[in-house]
Amino acid sequence: MGLVFSRLFSSLFGNKEARILVLGLDNAGKTTILYRLQMGEVVSTIPTIGFNVETVQYNNIKFQVWDLGGQTSIRPYWRCYFPNTQAIIYVVDSSDTDRLVVAKEEFHAILEEEELKGAVVLIFANKQDLPGALDDAAVTEALELHKIKNRQWAIFKTSAIKGEGLFEGLDWLSNTLKSGGG
Amino acid sequence: MFSLFYGLYKYVFSKTEFHVLILGIDKAGKTTLLEKLKSQYSNSEGLPPDRIVPTVGLNIGRVEASNTKLVFWDLGGQPGLRSIWEKYYEEAHAVIYVVDAACPSRFEDSKSALEKVLRHEDLQGAPLLILANKQDLADAVPAEELARYLDLKKLDERAYTFLAVSAYDGLGIKESVNWLVDVMERSKRTEMLQLRAGANLSST
Repeated sequence: MGLVFSRLFSSLFGNKEARILVLGLDNAGKTTILYRLQMGEVVSTIPTIGFNVETVQYNNIKFQVWDLGGQTSIRPYWRCYFPNTQAIIYVVDSSDTDRLVVAKEEFHAILEEEELKGAVVLIFANKQDLPGALDDAAVTEALELHKIKNRQWAIFKTSAIKGEGLFEGLDWLSNTLKSGGG
Repeated sequence: MFSLFYGLYKYVFSKTEFHVLILGIDKAGKTTLLEKLKSQYSNSEGLPPDRIVPTVGLNIGRVEASNTKLVFWDLGGQPGLRSIWEKYYEEAHAVIYVVDAACPSRFEDSKSALEKVLRHEDLQGAPLLILANKQDLADAVPAEELARYLDLKKLDERAYTFLAVSAYDGLGIKESVNWLVDVMERSKRTEMLQLRAGANLSST
């Protein structure tokens, strides 16, 4: 997977600094995905402003991960991480149907951010290995993805634990960014 | 008050932006068409056909043609994903329906999906361009024959046409865009969408 990844993303952004945000509610599987991709060491930092951001630097692409939801007081600080973001990978626990409404609300709220207007969106309907996990069409419906009309999006069924679906999603992402993005 | 006039000014003098939906069942060649459109009408290179994977979401192409701005929405065509098509109808000025003309075994599937699209009231009066795609393949049927196969009824109230194209090598693409721009500029639906946009502006 690490090799595949480097094939896909090397030279994609030239020498430009790029950022890909990996977001979702807690326990969606974001960190597991990063580990699965084996791009490098996942560094966990808890800045003094009080939220936990994990970063993986891969060539000139920074992957940054944090949990959405919860404390509203720290939200303004999220913006520090928005500039130069080419893509958002939104990870959903497809088996946690109770929290899909919250996942939807948080998702659309973050898409409203001015500095993220140009970012393309890749959705991972994760935890497909669990019983009762909704499929891609059902997650599409639950997240109301159809409300997105000004940027490209795609959804993939994934199991981060088994390593399934991640590559297909990243393939889409690199193709989309290559062909001009949003 | 100023903002009202400004809004009106923008509304009257801005270049019209047309939204065109690209629909069709899976493997019809929708994304290949989109990429061809991008490569012919914008600076973007467009993905080569061998890099294109099945769409599971929305692809967008923004191009300029005949002094108008066109935004193409390319939606995935697999059965499970067709349910989201209708969410994009309301804002669409026109529809391109892509059919793999070299695959008669799926004409029936294509026909029933298209009939469902045409029945939807949110698409009322939207011009319809049906593409007999994959003319680069030897066994592709011509546009007239596809029209006979699909045997569409009740098309009278909207502008429509059948064209033979190859999204792969570019045959018929210019003709398609010209037809679309021409009918959209004159269509009642465009007028209706503009009025609605204007009403939204003055109410904010």
